[in-house]
Amino acid sequence: MLLSVLLPAPDVRSASAARPLSRRPRRSLRWVEGVSVWLVMLLLLFVHPLYAEAADEPRPETGASFHFLSADGRWQAPAMVLTTDYRVTVTGLVAQTRLRQEFANTGREWREGVFVFPLPADASVHGLTMVAGERRIVGEIQSREMAQRAYEAARDHGQQAARVDQQRPNLFTTRLANIPPGESVTVELQYQQLVRYQSGEFELRLPTTLTPRYMPGRPASNPSRQWQEGWAVATTEVADAERISPFTVATADVADASHRARVAVTVNAGLPVARVTSPSHALTTTWNGSAVTVTPTEELVTMDRDFVLRWQPVRGAEPAAAVFRETWQGEEYLLAMLVPGLDNGQWLARELVFVIDTSGSMAGESIRQARAALLEGLATLTPDDRFNVIRFDSETRSLFIDSVAASANNLARARRYVMALEADGGTEMAPALDAALGSEGTPGLVRQVVFITDGAVGNEAALFARIRNQLGNSRLFTVGIGSAPNMHFMREAARYGRGTYTAISDLATLAEPLAGLFGKMKAPVLTDLQVQWPGADSGEAVFPRRPGDLFAGEPLLQLAKDKGASGELIVSGRLPDGSQWQQPLDLDQAAPGSGLHRLWARHKVDSLQDQNFDGQVSDAVRREITGIAVRHQLMTPYTSLVAVDKSPARPLEEDLVAESVPTLLPAGSTTGMLRYPATATAAPLLIGLGLTGLMFALAATMLRRRVFQ
Amino acid sequence: MSRLILLLLVVSAGVLGAGLWIPLKALVAQELLTLAWAESEARQAQIRPWPWADTWPAARLALPAEERPMVVLAGAHGESLAFGPGLVVAGERGRGPVVIAGHRDTHFRALKELSRGEQVRLQHPGGRWQGFQVVGTRVVDSRYEMISTADLAEDVLLLVTCYPFDSVDSNGPLRYVVEARELPHIPAGSTPLVTVAGQ
Repeated sequence: MLLSVLLPAPDVRSASAARPLSRRPRRSLRWVEGVSVWLVMLLLLFVHPLYAEAADEPRPETGASFHFLSADGRWQAPAMVLTTDYRVTVTGLVAQTRLRQEFANTGREWREGVFVFPLPADASVHGLTMVAGERRIVGEIQSREMAQRAYEAARDHGQQAARVDQQRPNLFTTRLANIPPGESVTVELQYQQLVRYQSGEFELRLPTTLTPRYMPGRPASNPSRQWQEGWAVATTEVADAERISPFTVATADVADASHRARVAVTVNAGLPVARVTSPSHALTTTWNGSAVTVTPTEELVTMDRDFVLRWQPVRGAEPAAAVFRETWQGEEYLLAMLVPGLDNGQWLARELVFVIDTSGSMAGESIRQARAALLEGLATLTPDDRFNVIRFDSETRSLFIDSVAASANNLARARRYVMALEADGGTEMAPALDAALGSEGTPGLVRQVVFITDGAVGNEAALFARIRNQLGNSRLFTVGIGSAPNMHFMREAARYGRGTYTAISDLATLAEPLAGLFGKMKAPVLTDLQVQWPGADSGEAVFPRRPGDLFAGEPLLQLAKDKGASGELIVSGRLPDGSQWQQPLDLDQAAPGSGLHRLWARHKVDSLQDQNFDGQVSDAVRREITGIAVRHQLMTPYTSLVAVDKSPARPLEEDLVAESVPTLLPAGSTTGMLRYPATATAAPLLIGLGLTGLMFALAATMLRRRVFQ
Repeated sequence: MSRLILLLLVVSAGVLGAGLWIPLKALVAQELLTLAWAESEARQAQIRPWPWADTWPAARLALPAEERPMVVLAGAHGESLAFGPGLVVAGERGRGPVVIAGHRDTHFRALKELSRGEQVRLQHPGGRWQGFQVVGTRVVDSRYEMISTADLAEDVLLLVTCYPFDSVDSNGPLRYVVEARELPHIPAGSTPLVTVAGQ
């Protein structure tokens, strides 16, 4: 229609130009007036729908989109801006982190912010401070139910309050009530973790986001269509799915300054450090005596990948043993580390089963890393070995019916198979574990399973039980994939599988961690580890109670509560050829440590929980855990940190709006969760602008003619 | 003064032209794409509609309001959507969920009229037609909701475009989603559509 109206214009003009000169101004004026009337009509036609739209405010009708409608059904844009600040101090083997989460409310209503975030898999969280303006409120440990009641009461009375719960050992939720409009409130968390030391290298990992997890099972019941905290609904296998499934968005979808982190790590290694590297971020390093301060080159890093930091001691200064001691409330706590000096001379013939996760959460960069990792693994096979490849997503398929000899032919076939793998579908991990661990294995060969995954599942505990029950003589090794793998899954699956774990975060740097892992798998393993503490019986107070097997380059770590232990600790074990190995460790040369009692308490809580696998913890154990947690001020599944400001902030007649702060999609991930594509063009806007402009121009022409006539 | 007016006139005409170019491009591209589709069907290969195109015809979609089926392109990035609707999620070997996105101002304007119970047809490479019946429409906010491919049913077809239909904002967060379920079977003789190759 537009075209048909506009096209005749040139004809009219040429006709008017042919008229005699004297009549021309009047005619052309008429003509201009005619065109203007048409234009105005067109514009009205065009603009009308816009008015209609303005009058009829659009809003989503159904589905899971309720969470951004406020209680009275009004449209609500996300208003929370999140900035975090990690300040880490590493002393020896312990890293102490102060994590600050600042929630800024840019909206006009009072808000409650809910943020699900990851922490290192072995973090012991022990401090919470809420900072609102000048006020600092120090939080305390309470049982989860009490904390919830205290928080909800404060929220409903308009008091500012913060609460942090543990959902998984590496997944926590911060709730912050009554953030005033236009202001920000900060939650300050303190946590501790052990630095990983292996093959002469220390590693510290700060997760900043999580890969959206797959929730196996059927929906448990009719989910309430109320405000939802997460995208998933509870299933028969993951009862708390909603609490561990924060909405995941692309970096472009959050406010410009939101989801940025400041990171500063100070390393007091206690020994000369040769170099500090990071596979995830570019670093700025400042050396200050024996301490090294490390920050990412970018001041604010996007929270879409784990921050990984590694440091190596000067050659020859790699520690072979270390003892730290702390006195806390009249009790002695000890941390002992011993690295058995094993030389890998003999190689064993093996049966290797590679299991690769091809579920939707692996799509993008992750599946490329996984394929590359598997190809590296295939390259380590020798003709004496046997192998198989199993892939799983919603279904499990294996390349060969049973393991086959690693002949050139079979390897070529496996390589072709692996290179064609694409990521799609769910993460049904249980059948894959059955397939990998179920078979008896070939006599005379060491059976090893390499599990390559991002661990993005919600039913970890059930999977660990399955691994423990079916393991037999196999060993399970895990390889974490992607920018934000679930390291808790990697660590624990490997522990139950009597193996070890590694993580790769980048295609360019995957060779090194993989070489480390495959090297350990080939090398002899120290089994039947016995640790003999001086003094009579301290077995009850030493963790881990039964140390797992040690692979080459890995240290043995022991945490003990002791009343003045002195003398020598004797560690003994058995090598694969049957010979005994033994090494003493002098406890009297202990260096002072700090926070060891919390690490010990965390290990004690873990061991108490391990007794019951299916997540069903008896009331007695639950009480015991709560007691330890309160005494050591430690967050556990049954205790939460809560801080309440007694003075009311929000006038009760004003509404409080809850908002889930999303997490960022891990870098390089495309996941099974697809964004809706942009599906509008600028055409209506351009046409509207063009028509308006033309109308004004013609009106101006007309006016001028009238004025000058 | 007259210079200013002239400038305004020229700029406005330019803007209008640019605005009209978008629907025009969409129309012309569909013609070229129909040719490319016919050729790719005849040669059983992925034929690019023009040499520098970064996409190719992946399917054809027949909406009840349009007399001729539209060619659907592979992928749904900004450029390809200017020429035709894009296949965001394609079922493997003709099975599994299909998600198609299109511009609200051009190809998928007709979604506005699509209502529950109406039929939509999709032609896969190889010529097989699949029938779908619209089971519902809804508006979603793309900032909070995502398409979870793992959760989509096997027999579902989602048509996605921007919402509201008459908005001038080309970056709005709302999307209009038409959900259709596969019909059990289409009789072979009932394909009412004229293919270019068959003309």
